[in-house]
Amino acid sequence: MNSSEVKKWYYILPVLSIGMFFAAWIFLSQGADTMIPTPYATLQRFLDICVNPISEATLIVHIWASLKRVLIAFFFAIVLGVFLGVGLGWSKAFDSFLGPVFEILRPIPPIAWIPLVILWCGIGELPKVVIVFIGSFVPIVLNTCSGIKEIDPLLINAGLVLGANRRQLLFEITLPATVPAILAGIRTALSSGWMCVVAAEMIVAKQGVGFLIVRGQESGDTALILACMLVIGVVNLLLSTILVKLEGVLCPWQFSKTK
Amino acid sequence: MAVLKNKISLKNVSKTYYLKDRTVEVLKDITLDVKENEFLVLLGPGQCGKTVLLNIIADLEKATSGEIIFADGRPKMGDLGMVFQKYALFPWKTVMGNVEMNQKLKGVDKATRQAKAQEYINLVGLQGFEKAIPKQLSGGMKQRVGIARAYASESDIMLMDEPFGALDAQTRYSMEDEIIKIWEKNKRTIVFVTNNVEEALYLGDRIMLLASRPSYVKKEYIVDLPRPRSYTDKAFLEMRNEIVANTDLDI
Ligand SMILES: Nc1ncnc2c1ncn2[C@@H]1O[C@H](COP(=O)(O)OP(=O)(O)OP(=O)(O)O)[C@@H](O)[C@H]1O
Ligand SMILES: [Mg+2]
Repeated sequence: MNSSEVKKWYYILPVLSIGMFFAAWIFLSQGADTMIPTPYATLQRFLDICVNPISEATLIVHIWASLKRVLIAFFFAIVLGVFLGVGLGWSKAFDSFLGPVFEILRPIPPIAWIPLVILWCGIGELPKVVIVFIGSFVPIVLNTCSGIKEIDPLLINAGLVLGANRRQLLFEITLPATVPAILAGIRTALSSGWMCVVAAEMIVAKQGVGFLIVRGQESGDTALILACMLVIGVVNLLLSTILVKLEGVLCPWQFSKTK
Repeated sequence: MAVLKNKISLKNVSKTYYLKDRTVEVLKDITLDVKENEFLVLLGPGQCGKTVLLNIIADLEKATSGEIIFADGRPKMGDLGMVFQKYALFPWKTVMGNVEMNQKLKGVDKATRQAKAQEYINLVGLQGFEKAIPKQLSGGMKQRVGIARAYASESDIMLMDEPFGALDAQTRYSMEDEIIKIWEKNKRTIVFVTNNVEEALYLGDRIMLLASRPSYVKKEYIVDLPRPRSYTDKAFLEMRNEIVANTDLDI
């Protein structure tokens, strides 16, 4: 096979696998007693909730409700996460003081916080935001911290030779060099935050995509559940695509193929 | 020739790394003088400690013992130019951003430092590439930026650590001509490290041949050939053979 033939396969294979996915889906959804709705029924349900409100809100309003929680929590997670990550990565004293506490709390899955946070913060917007914050804060701290620690020592030497003092070494050299690591952390955090908001909404909420899924479960509406699951996936994909684009703009020296 | 003053004197500089399971003796009693405005080449086999030695001169590392005397006092950090083996450019900065860095860190205002940086960008022949970032440049151009950045510190001492080691042969030859041209236009004391005998002979006023680890100065060669030199010149080849015969393996 020559290389253009090989290339052709790279276009055919994904189509093939997606086709097989749908074929399997259609096959499994056949028969009267199945709990699996057909792709067509799922699509119908999707179009339906786009126009007909559930719990006084159409799909887009539910998505926005979830997204809003993520974005608010995300803002605080970035600000505080980068701050803590830089502190842990840059200062030995700071690391030995706060590092152990962070290490104890870090392995707790953010979802395990949900009951406690609901008891503390009630059932309004705050608990969801707090859960998302916990879920997205950790990856940002970790990535920032390791980005700072793993900076190429050659760049530090170059900075020193050029006369950088400690503050300049941090702000002029280490931090810019760490931006790609921070952005990678932010991308992980966004996925994790989106997962957390769905989980939190599944426990208690009046709006949001997580709430819609639970509503589907309560009414045995499997098409609604599937439609929402796909929506959740697509939103996550969109968010990370936007972030990847943003990375190319923010640090062309690392991510984009400039010529 | 007039008697030149010693710009830098190394006296019994030694460096040993004490690791957990072993000790690595890298430099052993390196003693040498660098004369004012000369082009001194340190020629040594791979892994013999050339980078470590330059780092010690630049105060990036401490010698285990021995001393280094600067005739005009040890330059402050930022007052000594250094060109790195692997470029060590700041990838997020443009060519201008890299070259002006020293002056920026010193707090020089933007207009002044950029005018200065522009001079050195022109000196290395990179005019028109001020706004490019390192990843858009070829290896040779990257190292030109490295040279301009070091020159822009306006230090009268330049340390160059195998600056052309990563370049292909063609680029290497033209960069060797370039560095001599720059040095003749803008005389400074240069300590140039290489593991390439021809390069050493092509560039240096004097060559200090280093032994392999633990490294010491094996022999001094005064290269009294007129510039521009030729790789095929008879005297050049004779000296080359003499040095090669004296080197430790794997240069
Ligand atoms: N921080 C360190 N700890 C332990 N050993 C070190 C350290 N830095 C350098 N060395 C050792 O010192 C030796 C010399 O290293 P150096 O990089 O100076 O060699 P070099 O002559 O510059 O080699 P090259 O030609 O490959 O650039 C190496 O064998 C290396 O293992
Ligand atoms: Mg080296």
